[in-house]
Amino acid sequence: MALAALEVTDLSYSYGQDSSALHDISFRLTPGERVALLGPNGAGKSTLLWCLVGVLRAQGTIAVDGTVLRPGTEAEIRAKLGLAFAEPEDQLFMPTVRRDVTFGLLAAGAGSEEAAHAAEQAIRSVGLPEEALERAAHDLSSGERRRAALASILVMDPLILALDEPTNSLDARGRLSLARILLQLPCAQLVATHDLEFARALCARALVLVNGELVADTSMTALLADTKHLQQYGLTAPLRTDDGQTGVL
Amino acid sequence: MPHHLDLYVKRESALHRLDPRAKMLAAVGFVAAVLLAPTRPPWPTGALLLLLIGAAVLARLPARLVCRRMLSLVVVIGMPFLLSRLGGEATRAAGEQFAVRSLLVAAAFLVLMASTRAVVLLEVAERLPLVSVFGQLGEFILRGADLLAEEVVRTNRAWVLRAPSATLKVRLTGLSQASMSLLARAAARSERVGAAMVLRGFQGKLPMATPTPLPWSHLLAGLLFALISLGLAGVGRWR
Amino acid sequence: MVGGASDRDALSRARELALAGLLGALGLLLPIGFHALGWGGKVFLPMHLPVVVAGFLLSPATAVTLGFVVPLLSAVLTGMPPLSPPVAPLMALELAAKAGAASVFYRVLRLPLWVALAAAFVADWAVLALAAWFVAGLFAIKAGAIQYVAAAVVISLPGTILQVIAVPLTVLAIEKRVPRLRPAKRDETG
Repeated sequence: MALAALEVTDLSYSYGQDSSALHDISFRLTPGERVALLGPNGAGKSTLLWCLVGVLRAQGTIAVDGTVLRPGTEAEIRAKLGLAFAEPEDQLFMPTVRRDVTFGLLAAGAGSEEAAHAAEQAIRSVGLPEEALERAAHDLSSGERRRAALASILVMDPLILALDEPTNSLDARGRLSLARILLQLPCAQLVATHDLEFARALCARALVLVNGELVADTSMTALLADTKHLQQYGLTAPLRTDDGQTGVL
Repeated sequence: MPHHLDLYVKRESALHRLDPRAKMLAAVGFVAAVLLAPTRPPWPTGALLLLLIGAAVLARLPARLVCRRMLSLVVVIGMPFLLSRLGGEATRAAGEQFAVRSLLVAAAFLVLMASTRAVVLLEVAERLPLVSVFGQLGEFILRGADLLAEEVVRTNRAWVLRAPSATLKVRLTGLSQASMSLLARAAARSERVGAAMVLRGFQGKLPMATPTPLPWSHLLAGLLFALISLGLAGVGRWR
Repeated sequence: MVGGASDRDALSRARELALAGLLGALGLLLPIGFHALGWGGKVFLPMHLPVVVAGFLLSPATAVTLGFVVPLLSAVLTGMPPLSPPVAPLMALELAAKAGAASVFYRVLRLPLWVALAAAFVADWAVLALAAWFVAGLFAIKAGAIQYVAAAVVISLPGTILQVIAVPLTVLAIEKRVPRLRPAKRDETG
């Protein structure tokens, strides 16, 4: 069996003694695979992503490209698994986009020229002009900020890209643009979202989290065809009543 | 759009194009000269003033802008000077020196900051051995100011829509509650930003690109300005 | 919460830097807001508010650095307080001492909040007294440092009262929102 890009085994996490956020989650991602992580608000999607990058220390095993996450291997894991936050502003913390995008490479010891060249490539790959590198983050639109934050992760050439609600505050054109960018990336992707349309466009497989438990690991097509389970999992909520009436429920 | 807080005045000028390190060298030399130069006779400080006016002209700074910014110092400098006139000879002399030197140094900083972006100055500071931590923190504060300014604008718009004719008491209560909420959100945000930094490989110090070499011509220009200033002050002091 | 000790240290340092940045930013913006409302800086001391709060939430080294940087950065970015005459450098020393004292008393010595706040005020006035003594020497003025500090305290009484009310409320609100910022093993009855 080929080495998994990501292997998660019996992952559990609690925020407090009586608050279990994740319970015995197990799944794998193969290299280049795109998987949607679906679930209603509060299901534990973001918590799972934070556990994968080692910011939250969970029970169970997380292995990226064969390297198990444990004290001492965090840097190695994070170099291979990039996480795009739900709020891109949280990842744009330097005065200019250039400083943000080159941050990871410089921290890893790359030379200035190498970092500058990689930054230019990364910013172009997300559909932004090179001039964007000289701008302050607050000078970008929300869609541009999301792309700039993405560039700051892609510049590290990660094996896996995890995205937390990537279509938040994006208009239809922005979503399309983002989908096109992600479709061109060779890395494996784990996309936490409740935007079913976006997930369908991008991913062939879906993991469904409900109340911290993995309730489904299936093909996207099969999941979307199963309207009963979609409603049961809280992934859709019809705005029509059963007798076809619309309006306030 | 530049950062929300910055005294930079966008112009196409030789001074704007001059490397910020050369400008800082020139500024340090000028400030040292101002502190060295006597105020009696007045010609050394007068010459320094002319030198500075030359720099401001080179930077194509609007005279009205310069005067307006200097006007804000009238009270801060004027009051101690006027009070010193009530004292003895030593106090009056000290007051005079205080006023002249304060004005010259303030004007020098004004020209420097009007011709150099704040973020560039902070990057230079970040590379200097003793002050690098100040530069690092300054960069975070600058970014934080951008974020908070946006939040304040949003909150203010919400207030205008929600309570356009609120009394002062209601507004003040709302302002204090909004400020507390803003601070609490800022604190929560810092948790995520800290995580973002570590995920990108932060180990305790902000990574920096190696600086571009300082062009000789720029270094010479900065050095020349500093040396001329110090020369004028030196001649004035020891003549 | 996080993996190895060095990773934990890096995360802690990163969070401190991020929080210091936001509190420092407030130290730049509040004076602008107060001036816009016509409330004088010398009376209401708006810059002191977030810096003192920072003293309670950050380590002593970061708190001192922040207190030192904020007035100087404000001078560079807004022109106020002025670098020349050296109002900004004096405020830098004042706020560094104030934030540092708050941090040492609250986070290191684990004393109650109100004790740490009192210590912060004392540190501030001590720096003012030293500065007054120095300036008096420069101007050959025979006035005492104590009189200067007393005058400064009276003028800034509204600001002091504002800090006494707002700082504890703000610190407690932030600690409630981010429990990690509460000093470990704090005396709950303090």
